[in-house]
Amino acid sequence: MTATDHVQAPAPAQGGAARKRAKDRAVRPTVYILKKLVSLVVTLFVASLAVFFSRFLVPGDPARFLLRGRSPKPEALEEITRQFGLDKPAWEQYLNWLGGILQGDWGRSLTYRQDVSDVLLGRLPTTLQLVALAAVFITVLGLFAGIVASLNKGFGDRFILITLTAAGAVPPFVAAIALVALFSVGLGWFPSFGSGDGGWDRIWHLTLPALALGITYIAMVARVTRSSMNEQLLREHVEVATSRGLTRGSVVARHVLRNALGPILTVSGVLVAGLLVSSAIIERTFGLSGIGQLLVQSIDRLDFAVVQAIVMVVVAAFVLVNTVVDLIQPLIDPRIAAGTESR
Amino acid sequence: MSQLLNIEDFTLGFPDRPPLLDSVSLHVNDGEAVALVGESGSGKSLTTRAALGLFPGGSEFSGTVSVQGLDTLTANKQRLMELRRGHASMIFQDPRAGINPVRTVGDFLTETLLRFDGLSRAEATERAVKQLEQVGLRRAKELMDQHPHQLSGGMLQRVMIAAALLNSPDLLLCDEPTTALDVTTQSGIVRLLREEQQSRGMGMLFITHDLNLAASMCERVYVLRRGTVVEHGPTQTVFQMPQQDYTRQLVEATPIIELGEVPAVEASAAPPLLQVSGLSKTYQLPRGDVITALDNAGFSLPEGGSLGVVGESGSGKSTLARLVVALETATVGELTLHGVPRPRRPLKAAERKVLAKDVQIVFQDPYLSLDPRIPVGNAVADVFRLHQRQGRKQAKASAAELLGRVGIGPDRFDARPRALSGGQRQRVALAKALAARPRLLVLDEATSALDVSVQAQVLELVEELRDQFGLTILFVTHDLAVVSRLCSELIVMHQGRIVEQGPTARILEDPGDGYTRNLIASRPRPLWDAEPVTA
Repeated sequence: MTATDHVQAPAPAQGGAARKRAKDRAVRPTVYILKKLVSLVVTLFVASLAVFFSRFLVPGDPARFLLRGRSPKPEALEEITRQFGLDKPAWEQYLNWLGGILQGDWGRSLTYRQDVSDVLLGRLPTTLQLVALAAVFITVLGLFAGIVASLNKGFGDRFILITLTAAGAVPPFVAAIALVALFSVGLGWFPSFGSGDGGWDRIWHLTLPALALGITYIAMVARVTRSSMNEQLLREHVEVATSRGLTRGSVVARHVLRNALGPILTVSGVLVAGLLVSSAIIERTFGLSGIGQLLVQSIDRLDFAVVQAIVMVVVAAFVLVNTVVDLIQPLIDPRIAAGTESR
Repeated sequence: MSQLLNIEDFTLGFPDRPPLLDSVSLHVNDGEAVALVGESGSGKSLTTRAALGLFPGGSEFSGTVSVQGLDTLTANKQRLMELRRGHASMIFQDPRAGINPVRTVGDFLTETLLRFDGLSRAEATERAVKQLEQVGLRRAKELMDQHPHQLSGGMLQRVMIAAALLNSPDLLLCDEPTTALDVTTQSGIVRLLREEQQSRGMGMLFITHDLNLAASMCERVYVLRRGTVVEHGPTQTVFQMPQQDYTRQLVEATPIIELGEVPAVEASAAPPLLQVSGLSKTYQLPRGDVITALDNAGFSLPEGGSLGVVGESGSGKSTLARLVVALETATVGELTLHGVPRPRRPLKAAERKVLAKDVQIVFQDPYLSLDPRIPVGNAVADVFRLHQRQGRKQAKASAAELLGRVGIGPDRFDARPRALSGGQRQRVALAKALAARPRLLVLDEATSALDVSVQAQVLELVEELRDQFGLTILFVTHDLAVVSRLCSELIVMHQGRIVEQGPTARILEDPGDGYTRNLIASRPRPLWDAEPVTA
């Protein structure tokens, strides 16, 4: 036999099975995506149940709150109760609420006497911009610190690790105060209050809040990046790549970082929830009018419609981001789609 | 002939520790195939990697390692990378670990071409496809878009070889390129490597622990032991007339099939200890596929007999072993042990204890099968206490005696497995199994992870113990030579089915099944054996 003798073709008996497998391969991604989408919808539905019915566990009658402690005539109370649909059975209220959401109607805010969607839309952009900017800081600084730590064993690694541990232990409001003290009071580089007027001014205003918000997460992402890369660096395929004459940069980018992305992405997805929640504190500290601050106020004032809407938005954002992460994972590591992650 | 690779007085080690390599000198000429053999820890891989300028971090080294006149110990990064890209390539042991699993085969092959040789994507792809076809892969174009997990181990190793040959290197370094593969796959890869080396006139340094393989590939050989070259010369001379004791031991320890040495079948009137009929095991996959790991197996093993089960990965041999020791439950079929039929459900704890007294198993990897926290003496004593109902003191004494019998001295009694070598650990595992005084001992690839010299010791020990205790042995392995030495009867398995069974000597001499013939023919033959290859 010669060098070109071909590797055995599958026996004819297996031909059918092979064809079936080929068909499976084409179908599998679609099935995978559908499964993820279905689980997204189911999760949102369950979340909506929890969000809506948790209201009934909280003491206090929203209609009474509306009257601000005045002792109302029973008719007036009844009138308000009917006006907000609070007299109907719980399940009917839920269906109305859910139906409304699906049509873009989130109900009326009890305090603002406005549609909830209007209240939200006024505040949402600030929070989204804040979170987006924080996400940029987290990605850039977190990845950078992690990569540098992983590639510089010894002093560099230890220094970054200690810094990260310290940074990870700082609560956002402390970080906020420290950053304000240093950069706006001390150096005067950034403003300490307000959200600016769009464009660069907005980014300029949001820099400190975003940093304060992101600092804990930067530490977490950096740690995951570092350990994930360290694990990959020991893999044989990295040595093979080096032995083939690739530059250090190519090896790190194409074979170490690329393979380390999976865990980094998973952790980042989970962090999103924390970001949205912590933003309430940061918004308060920096006097930004975002949904975080709105949430805190609304809980204070028993403005259930707004609280429900915000919680739903946060839950939806969280579930959506994680679904996207799940959908991206197979592109990063094709073994996940095949369901054979072993070896 | 010029010297392609020249290593002189190469010493490598970590500060404050004895050197890992001590004054290693070897050379490879143009167009010459040279083997570097040695056991684990002998420094084979370190030596070879040095030829590409790959050194473990923090190590100190001296001497010269020159490839085509370039000293890799002192060369700058740029020169080293040029060397790796164009002049010397390396093939690694495990292609599954060595090819980035998240990138396509095409990406793996073309990355250096695109990045450093300035080829366009189309040119690089064309060249890669051509190379894949040359190493014997069909549908090369489709392969380019596939990921490593979609290919078999043998195919992947061909991909790795194709990648190594892409830039027509002058020196090919092979680090145990077939150790992770099945025997029949190995023979194809070995043939391919030999042909490529011959037709391209490449110099080749072939690392292996398998002397038979070295003899089938290379004209010259270096024997490495604990970082020093103990012997070198033409392969035939070194293997047939070894000058050094170590080489002699190594040659003697290497298992070969000697038909005269195969234990004969003893006609015994004893009732079968283990009787198996129609035994099958299937696994249901989540997506509806059914995998048949074992299909309609039937055999019987008389008391005091020894049965070898041979097959490649995926042949169902381990499933069979696990069924016998009740780690798995059969889907259909009967398994009768000592006249007691095995219920077709997972055993209850009490039943398992009763069974464990009669049947014990020794697994492949002693690094994984011993609890790292339990001192080995206690591990063995625990078995005595459990199965022989001995008191603490008595169990300790029995354990010490048994460990002594397998060659573990009393000073090792309190050692944790971590402090023992691989061979010592496997002997402890064996002692643990024997402490239950089983009738049937199942060895599942029990010597495969060990060095040849250690394997020889363990095999000897098993033979000795078998005679002493009158054990019945079921030996599961991929290695025909090992079986031929220990087992009088043989089962050959392929894809879950028993394709052939009978006396070992008969099967080896006159195999009846095509697969068995293939298996026997796949064993590496020395170059000086002019026997024509019959496949």
